[in-house]
Amino acid sequence: MKKIFLIYLCVVLIFLSGCWDQSLLVTKTLINGVSFDITEKSELVGAARILNIESKGGGQFELKDEMIETKSKYSSEVGPEINFKMPGKIDVSKAHVILIGEELGKQGIHPFLEIFYRPKDAYVTSRVVMTKGNAAEILSVEPQKSPIAFEILRALKSSESLTNIPKETVFSAWSKIVDSGVDLMLPYVENVGNDRVAIGGVYLFHNDKYTGFSIPKEKSTLLLLLSDGLQKEGLVAVNLKRNRSTAFRVMDEKRKMELVIDKAHRKITCKMNLELDVNLVSYSNNFIEKTNVNKLNKDIATLLTKEAKEITNILLEANCDAFGIGRKLASSHPDIWKKLDWEKDYKNVQFEPKVKVNITKTGTVF
Amino acid sequence: MITKKTSITKFQLFFFLIQSQVGIGLLSLPNVVQATAKGDGWISTILAGVIVQFMLIIYWLLFKHFPNDNYTKITIKIFGKYVGKFLNFIIYLYFILTGSLALILYINCINLWLLPLTPMWVLSLFIILSSIYLAHSELTIIARFFVIASFMLVLLILLSFLTYDLEKEFQNILPIGDSGMKNILMGSNKSIISMLGFEGMLLIYPFILNKEKGVLKSASFANLTVTALYTYFLFLCLISFSPNQLKQVREPVLYLFKALSYEMLDRIDLIFIASWIVPMTTSIIAFLFFASKSISKDKSYKKTVLLNAIIIYLISIYPFDESMITKFSTYVTYLSYFVVFILPILLLTLTLFIKTLKRSENA
Repeated sequence: MKKIFLIYLCVVLIFLSGCWDQSLLVTKTLINGVSFDITEKSELVGAARILNIESKGGGQFELKDEMIETKSKYSSEVGPEINFKMPGKIDVSKAHVILIGEELGKQGIHPFLEIFYRPKDAYVTSRVVMTKGNAAEILSVEPQKSPIAFEILRALKSSESLTNIPKETVFSAWSKIVDSGVDLMLPYVENVGNDRVAIGGVYLFHNDKYTGFSIPKEKSTLLLLLSDGLQKEGLVAVNLKRNRSTAFRVMDEKRKMELVIDKAHRKITCKMNLELDVNLVSYSNNFIEKTNVNKLNKDIATLLTKEAKEITNILLEANCDAFGIGRKLASSHPDIWKKLDWEKDYKNVQFEPKVKVNITKTGTVF
Repeated sequence: MITKKTSITKFQLFFFLIQSQVGIGLLSLPNVVQATAKGDGWISTILAGVIVQFMLIIYWLLFKHFPNDNYTKITIKIFGKYVGKFLNFIIYLYFILTGSLALILYINCINLWLLPLTPMWVLSLFIILSSIYLAHSELTIIARFFVIASFMLVLLILLSFLTYDLEKEFQNILPIGDSGMKNILMGSNKSIISMLGFEGMLLIYPFILNKEKGVLKSASFANLTVTALYTYFLFLCLISFSPNQLKQVREPVLYLFKALSYEMLDRIDLIFIASWIVPMTTSIIAFLFFASKSISKDKSYKKTVLLNAIIIYLISIYPFDESMITKFSTYVTYLSYFVVFILPILLLTLTLFIKTLKRSENA
């Protein structure tokens, strides 16, 4: 037994001398944000925000946030091109945001997601964000406080928690792109001047291509509520008629989506009933009267129903099946789904949205 | 000789079967099943479980006639010395090849996910060394280790609860039964391959203590657990990935964890695969043990383990490319049909036939 143990020990000792798969922090260049664009000459522009780690000795490190831009002909070349230009070995394992320019979005975003979901080190929970205009310009903004990638990430996270924009990571966006029964919506950011970047709203996609249609951030919350995507809460402000406006938090939602199919005329009607439990945040009205909750319920509901109809019209025009009607059809009426050409037939879907609002709390005053 | 020292309890049998069954196969199972059964993949695994259960009953009936013999001794008793020995060689070949295949897939997976720059032969060497260490000891010791290692599975199931955080789409499995019976059965075929290991009962049956009753119960419980575990992970993948995505991902069960992210913790897939090393290694140990048991006499057992380990190691470090691995696994599949399914059924029918013949002679 002792001999065997000794042999084991020797063998193990040989292998303890080193490790093939070590990667030291000092030899790495961490990327925290990436952007992709296309120029008029159809050249691809890839840009990356890198955190350069420089050892100052004594366990101290200096961090520098730099920007690198490259031009390449095809999508697979972008990654290596960035790597060539950088001092250390590229590490995308912490690339928090991926910005994609508007124009490139129209050409299709899938090749740029693929760069992030295929390699083993890739970070598939990176946020995918569109930009109004050029993405590299947004990425080159120098905010005062922290690197731009973190600023964008923070803005995204807070808007996500208010159900203002959908939470789309590389993983979830990929999942929706390859699914023929549902289409993608991605948030977009825009430059608002003064070295600031803000959330603009939601871009509508068909397959992996941006359709050119967007929903501004004022209405995107309703769009997300309609697609049953309430996060922690939803913040909505609406302008009712005659100098009355109100803002409220949506605390709970119940969405019923029902497909009524008229086989004879090949007509698909989608009935959507949305019930919202809301807390009032503000309500400016005649200052002498007490809030008439029932009337306010109805007023908000009518307004939201109207807006919902507008949103569904835009979705149809964009040919963006954001609610996953196709998937629902495929699972509940497979015989009909197989006969349909969803590329064309989606446009003939009739939406009948109906919103019901129920104010549960009016805050500390009536 | 089977003494108390070398035998195992029914409780240990339960864990022994689980540990030899669960391994590398599970990680890629959802992808493999998706190719044919699509949204009905979970039915495929349940069906596969039913088929395994049927086989376990066959084994049990067979051992009712030969309570103190293992698989290789039964073949000799039924078919005589020469045919029996030939069949035993096939059985041995099956265990060696299955063990090698599992090891190849295992080191490929580790290479892909965890250690891309470490040479394959080093990974393989480490695994085979630790496998020899355990496999050349008594069955009792192996079984005890398997019981302890099963806590790892519990941990991994707990880890899987984290994925409930991801977007789930239950419509992916609807409408139920849409893929048709043929595709579901083809899916079952694929799932059975990753459930292999239960045939180990053919070799360890003589070592079970108090085998008069309750053996089938333990084995069935083991099968139930494995089937439930596989179905659970498959179901999780079906509702977390969109169908086309699932077709593209190599190891969906791992990729699922990759999609998780927390403030404090990222890349849970790496934690998962690091822990999954234990169930994967136990499968290798089990197959090394089965291969050695199927060919050796009691005295030469330790040497046989060493020899078999070297054979498995040499096969595993051969530079296979992907298409060769696919071919290899198809051959192993065909071999498994014979060794795991056809031969035991044949043995049972022959046994029953001989019994009735003898009875009619006496009467």
